[in-house]
This record gives sequence, structure tokens and C-alpha cells, in this order.
Amino acid sequence: MPSMQQLTILVVDDTSVSRALITDGLAQIGLKNVKVAKDGEEGLRMMMTAPCHLVISDYNMPKIDGIQLLRALRQHAPTSKVGFILVTGKGDKALIDEGKKWGLNNFLAKPFAVPQLKTCIEAVVGKLT
Amino acid sequence: MTSSDVTEKRVHIIQGEFFVTRDRDVMVTTILGSCIAACIRDPLAGVGGINHFLLPGSIGPNAAEDERMGVHLMELLVNGLLKAGARRERLEAKLFGGARTVKSHSDIGKHNAEFAQRFLKAEGITYVGGSTGGLQGRRIQYWPVSGRARQILLAGPAKIERPAPLPVATVDANAGELELF
Repeated sequence: MPSMQQLTILVVDDTSVSRALITDGLAQIGLKNVKVAKDGEEGLRMMMTAPCHLVISDYNMPKIDGIQLLRALRQHAPTSKVGFILVTGKGDKALIDEGKKWGLNNFLAKPFAVPQLKTCIEAVVGKLT
Repeated sequence: MTSSDVTEKRVHIIQGEFFVTRDRDVMVTTILGSCIAACIRDPLAGVGGINHFLLPGSIGPNAAEDERMGVHLMELLVNGLLKAGARRERLEAKLFGGARTVKSHSDIGKHNAEFAQRFLKAEGITYVGGSTGGLQGRRIQYWPVSGRARQILLAGPAKIERPAPLPVATVDANAGELELF
């Protein structure tokens, strides 16, 4: 059972308003150890230098999309086991199936409310305390 | 070439939809009351698009949750443009709608317009004009590739639109008819 104080999270989204919505939601849940990346490339670079426990990433991003980021993380030993939540539009079943092949832990359909965000995180890391 | 040789393709979108095209012959129509249509394009890449959204409720305790829907619909349009070859830093936008459709209600239209303006500012998308507010609904015609937009004010107050299921815009042979609301 992870402590909210210990859990480190990286939010990756190329839309700054969406990044803000996710980080605000995390703050409401009580998760404060949050870093942000403005696209998949920056997210990958940040994870290579200082891995977080959990990545919450948008799918639709230029350069490196959410699935490509997941694949890159899974193929790099230090980040191969980190939790990964993909944020997508509704009805992206094929996308989720593709993600599962690469060890996707959970997904979150937009638009989502804070309780859904919390439930989604707890499904990956266990009940937050 | 005679005028009959010119084929103008019409697409009609309703609330909850968005449409992106690289076809300069396409003209998109939509009918707005308190809803907003964001018309966004990349003039250099020759790609443009439009959405039509209404923040479900409001003003009040659920405003933040409602804005998530607006963010989602704006993001769908922007992502659609980027996927079609647009560059974020070149995007320019026009906004239409946001009328105060019923005087006795909270000014949801204004709230919608303010949200759209905030989104553009936060995302660094240049606002190049448009028309929001007022008491009348609007019929919008937009040519996404050229960025040309035409607004026709509707007689009398527009009715409040009801949320429609999300998704895919389809080519509508009857585009232009006042069928929304």
C-alpha cells in the first residue's frame, strides 16, 4: 500500500490545459509528488534520468505518442516495471488492446472526474493512504 | 470554368462534434445558441477544422467538471489538426456563439466564450477574431482551409441546445437547414 507522500508521478500531455486538469486532480486526491512533461519526448527523457513510480500519459501527442512512450519505457530496464496509465478518448478499444501488449496497467477515458482518476490510480498502485 | 463546375462540399456539425479537413472546397455549417464553435486552422499547412461544444452545466460548484468536457472537445479538434499536418505554433482561431439565449438563466453563453478564450490563451493559439455574446443565435458557415467565416444572426432568441452523443461528423447533403435545437 503506497503512501501518498512517497508515490512519484509523471504527467505527460501536450495540451497544457489537460496537464493542469490532471495535476489539479492529483492535488485534490492528495498526491503532491508530481512532475509534468509537455510531450512524449520530454516524458521519456525525464523517465530516463529520474524514473517516477507512475506515468499518466495522454495518447495523442506529436513525436512520441502514449503507446510509443510505454513501449520505450518497457524496453528500458530501470523503467520496465513502472505503472503506466494511458489517457484516451472514449471507445479506443484497439488502442487499449495494443497498450496491453506492452504492459499497460490501466487507462482513463476523457473527460474524467477526480474520483475516476483516483480509482484508476488505486487500481494500479493499490489503495492510497 | 462556370459556376456549375465549382463543387462546394458542405458538412454540417452539431453539438459535441468536430470536423477537420484539408479540402479547400469544404464549407462547414453549424447553428449556435449559447454553444461555442472554435474555428481553428494552420494557414501554412492548409488544414483547418471546427468544433461545436457546450459546457454542460455551468457556473457553480460543478463548473470545473464541466470544463473537462470543453477541454476534451477542444483537444479533439487540436489533435485532429495536428494529425492532419498542422503545427501547434501556427494555429489561429476564430470563436463564434456564446449567446445569452434566455434572459432569466445564468449567462452560460458568456461562460462558454470565456472558457474558449482561456483555452486558446493557455495553449498559445492566436485568436484572430469572431463574434460571441449577444442575445441571438447564429448560423455559421466556415471554410476551414481558407479561414473564411460567415455569420448569420437568427431572428429571435435561439433555444437552448441539448447535449448530443459525441461523435463523428458526417457529410450532410441537407447542410444549411435550420435543423438543430
